[in-house]
Amino acid sequence: MNSIIALSLFGIANLFLGFLNNRKILMPATLAFILFALGLNLADWNTEVLWFNNMLRTNNLSVNFTTVILVATLLVVAISRGFGDDEEHSHPAEYYAIMLFSVVGAIMMVTFENLLMLFIGLEILSVSMYVLTGSDKRNLRSNEAALKYFLMGAFATGILLFGVALVYGATGSFSIYGIGNFVTENRMGQSEITPMLYVGILLIIIGLLFKVSAAPFHFWTPDVYEGAPTIFTAFMSTVVKTAGFAALYRLLSVSFVGEYGKWVYLLYFLCAATLIIANITAVYQQSFKRMMAFSSISHAGYLLMTVTSNQATTQSSILFYSLAYSIATVTAFAVMILVSENKTSNGKPDESFDAFKGLAKNNPLLAFALAVSMLSLAGIPLTAGFWGKFFIFSDAFKRGLILDLIVAVLMSAVGVYYYFKPIIASYMKEGNIQEITIKPIYKLTLIITTILTILLGLMPDLVKSIF
Amino acid sequence: MLNIILIAFCILTVGSALWVLWTKNVLHAAFALLLTFLGVAALYVMAGADFLGITQILVYVGGILVLLIFGIMLTNQAGNKEGGKNMILTENLNRFWGILIAGGFFGLLFYTFTQAGFQEVEQQHFGEISNHSSTIQITGIQLMTDYVLPFEIVGVLLMIALVGASFLASKNE
Repeated sequence: MNSIIALSLFGIANLFLGFLNNRKILMPATLAFILFALGLNLADWNTEVLWFNNMLRTNNLSVNFTTVILVATLLVVAISRGFGDDEEHSHPAEYYAIMLFSVVGAIMMVTFENLLMLFIGLEILSVSMYVLTGSDKRNLRSNEAALKYFLMGAFATGILLFGVALVYGATGSFSIYGIGNFVTENRMGQSEITPMLYVGILLIIIGLLFKVSAAPFHFWTPDVYEGAPTIFTAFMSTVVKTAGFAALYRLLSVSFVGEYGKWVYLLYFLCAATLIIANITAVYQQSFKRMMAFSSISHAGYLLMTVTSNQATTQSSILFYSLAYSIATVTAFAVMILVSENKTSNGKPDESFDAFKGLAKNNPLLAFALAVSMLSLAGIPLTAGFWGKFFIFSDAFKRGLILDLIVAVLMSAVGVYYYFKPIIASYMKEGNIQEITIKPIYKLTLIITTILTILLGLMPDLVKSIF
Repeated sequence: MLNIILIAFCILTVGSALWVLWTKNVLHAAFALLLTFLGVAALYVMAGADFLGITQILVYVGGILVLLIFGIMLTNQAGNKEGGKNMILTENLNRFWGILIAGGFFGLLFYTFTQAGFQEVEQQHFGEISNHSSTIQITGIQLMTDYVLPFEIVGVLLMIALVGASFLASKNE
C-alpha cells in the first residue's frame, strides 16, 4: 500500500521533471523512485495489514510479488538509456511516468482483497500498456499493435467484469475471502448451488488468461510484442505476466478453491494446449522478437501448470519462476536492443536471428549474457530457469497432472531447439559485428542479471527459502 | 399498469438492439443504439437502481454515443468526394463462427439467468432499499467510506488515460 501511494506520487513528480530541459536527470530519478518504493515495500515484511475496509492486503506473499515486479521494472528502466537521443520524437518523462503508474496497477493486482481493486488494477496496467505499445507513433506496426491490443484487451476486460458481476450475483460478495467462504459452504451443502457461479468463474478465468496470453487467447501476443518498442516488450512480458499470474493464483486458490474439481479440467487442457501451440509455433519463427513472444506464451503455459496443481508450494514456485523468467527475459531483450540497433536492414533495426551472427567475436560480454539468458529460458541446469521448471514440474507431479507433465517435458525439449538458435548464431556463425559501445549502467545491468541467473541456478534456496 | 410499461421498455430495448444488428448503415446503428441505451436506463430505474439509470444516460447517451456519431462524421470523407451516398456500410465476415459463438454465449447466459439464485434477492437485501426514496444517498456515503480507496485509485487510471491520450494525439513537431 505504501509503495502504491509512493509510486502514484512519483509518477506525477516524473511528469513535472519532464518540464526541465535536462533530460538526463529523468532516468536516475526514476531509478531512485523505484528503489525507494522497493524499500517501502520491503519494510512491510512480516506485517499483515488489511487496508481501507478490506480492499488490499499486505502480507509476505504480496511483498514478495511486489518485489519481483519492482525488480523487473528496475531492470527495464536501467536498460532504457533515457529513451535514446532522439530529442524530437521521444518523450521520456511521459514514458517513465506511465511505467510508474502501471506498476501501481500491477501492485494492486498482487495485493487485492476485493474484486473491485483487481479490476481497477488490471485496467491501470492495461491502459498504460496500450499507450506504451503505440508510443512509437511513426512506426505503422506499433500503431497496429496498439490498436489490436486495445480492442482485444477491452473485450477481455468486459468479459472479466461480466464474470465478476455474475460471481457477485451468485455469492453476494466482492471480497475474495467472502466468496471463498460462500463457495466452501456451498460445497458442504449449506447453501444453494447455482450455475451462475460456474459461468462467473469461467468468464473471470477467460479474462485473466487473456491478459497473461495463454492459449487459446494468445492471438494478440506475437503481433503486439513485435510491434511494440522493444523496451516496452520487455516490460510487458515480465511485469504484466507476473501480476496476471499472481492475480489468477490468488483468486483461484482463495476464492474458488472449493470448486477445484470444476475448474481444474479447464486449466488442465488449456495448459497443455498453450504449451504445444506456443513451442511448436516458436520453432518456425525467423524474428528473435517474435520467437520471444511465443516463448512468453509457452512460459505462461508452465506457470499455468503450477496454478492448476494448486499445491502449498505453488506460490513460491510462481514467484521463483517469475523472477528467473523476468531476469532472463530482460537480459535477452537488452542484448537484442543493442544488436538490432547496430545492424539495420532497410533503415529498420534487424530483429532476425541473422543479426546475432558473429556476436561473440568482438562482444564477448553481450554474447555471454545472451547465452546465459537463453539457457535459463530453456531450463538448462546451472541456470535459474532450470530450478524454476523443476519446482513447477514437482508441483504438477505431486498433484498428478500426468498429461501436462509429459507435454511440458517434451515441449521443454522443443524449447531447447529454438533457444539455441541465437546462441549458435552468435558463437558459431561468421559475421561482421564491430564492438558495440555500451553505457556503464547498461553494462552493469547486464552483468548483474547474468550473475543473478547463474547464482540462482547454483543456489536456488537463496531466494526460494524466502518465498 | 407497471407491467405494461416494463414490457414496452423491454420491447424497445430488444427491438432497437436487433435493429443495431440488422442494419448495415453505421449511422442508423448508432441511432438505434440510442434507443437501446434509453431502454436499458428505463429498466434500471424500474428495478430500483435510479442512480445507475442516470449514469447510464449520462455516460452512454451523453458521452459514448456522441463520440460514436462524431467518429462517423469525421471519418466519412470518401463518400462525400465521390458524390455518392454519404454512408458507412458494414460487412459480415466469418458469419458461421460469429453466429455460433454469439449464440452459444447467449444460450449460456440465458440458461444461467433462468437458473440464477441471486444471493442479494434471496437474503432480501432489496426490501430495505426500496423504502428509501433514492439510492444516490447510499451510493454517495458508501463511495466516501467503504469504497474510498477504489474511488481514489480511479484517479490514477484517469491520469494515465489523460496522459496517454494527449501523448498519442499530439503531433511531433
